[in-house]
Amino acid sequence: MWSEWQRWLTQAQQVAGDFFAPLSAAHPLVILPLNAAAFWIGLQLYRRSGSPLLHPVIGASLLVFATLWLLGVNFEGYQRGSGLLYLLLGPAIVALAIPLKQNLAMVRRAGWPLMLGLLVGAILAPLVAVLIAVLLGGSRAVLIALTTKSVTTPVALALAQELHGIQSLAAGVVAFTGVIGAVFGPSILRRLNVTDERVLGFSLGINAHAIGTARALEISALCGAFSALAMGLCGALTALLLPLIVTF
Amino acid sequence: MSRLKAFPRWLMGAGLLLGFDLTGRSLSAAFALPVPGPVLGMLLLLLTLILYGRIPRGLAEVAVQILRLLVLILLPATVGIYFLQQLSIRDWLTLAIAMLVGTLISFTLTALLLQRLLRRAAARRGEAHVE
Repeated sequence: MWSEWQRWLTQAQQVAGDFFAPLSAAHPLVILPLNAAAFWIGLQLYRRSGSPLLHPVIGASLLVFATLWLLGVNFEGYQRGSGLLYLLLGPAIVALAIPLKQNLAMVRRAGWPLMLGLLVGAILAPLVAVLIAVLLGGSRAVLIALTTKSVTTPVALALAQELHGIQSLAAGVVAFTGVIGAVFGPSILRRLNVTDERVLGFSLGINAHAIGTARALEISALCGAFSALAMGLCGALTALLLPLIVTF
Repeated sequence: MSRLKAFPRWLMGAGLLLGFDLTGRSLSAAFALPVPGPVLGMLLLLLTLILYGRIPRGLAEVAVQILRLLVLILLPATVGIYFLQQLSIRDWLTLAIAMLVGTLISFTLTALLLQRLLRRAAARRGEAHVE
């Protein structure tokens, strides 16, 4: 029962120990500020441009990659230097419970149509993509990465580990899916004459998770709340169902 | 000064997040559950908050901060995609098409379904009012 706690302690000790390692390009004191600076610049770029194409996920990751390439740091070194951030991943997933709890009253009001829509949408999003990939002859790694395409990244990472997929590929697929949904989603619905902001928010949350939710919040608070709610529920539902389906 | 006073509250909030994370992981490992441990921790926390009836202030504040930094926390995993070498060109192409076309299709279908369901529910409620 306590083995997970011990594992966490060992991990924390290792991360702390890395701080006392001799200074190098892959030292946490180099990598962590690099991450923070790239995140901050990515955020500023996104705010200035206002385009979902330049979402901080994309801007910041490109900046980090370019810097690592210049410094000659490989991915293992970078991962080790970023150890502190990996420790925060679990608590960040748990923190998703708070917005979920805050929006729960809305579910009760909108009731069964939302729940049914969520269930179908959460199954449809990965299913359609996986079917297309199967038709195109995609490899197993590709199929596994697509199954978590529309859940929020922390959950997708946890699932990739559970399903023995490639975590980085899962994270990349999630980021680009989010951008696609956030860029094209609102205009598709406008063309279809769907004006209900609840529908738009919910579809964004299911198909484009956090990036879609950021877009939804720009449209209206109602749209954003529905998107955040759909994102949380979709993540929880997928995390519960997917491992069962894949092992089966 | 106010920050100093808030510190124990924040510490408790952070402790709760970590505690639920590790509890979820322990349960998932102990019973060999297919659900990822941190997700189980999130569901347990949600259940606890529903039973408790409100969100402790420190927990809410810490959660808002950590979620605001989500992109930063996920950065190491995201950067990994540029280092992937085991995929072929064909795999990348498949991935790109499946993501683009798949997302557009599922987005459209989800929205249309949801609109129909909401309208039907509203119509039913409307009839009930007339009666």
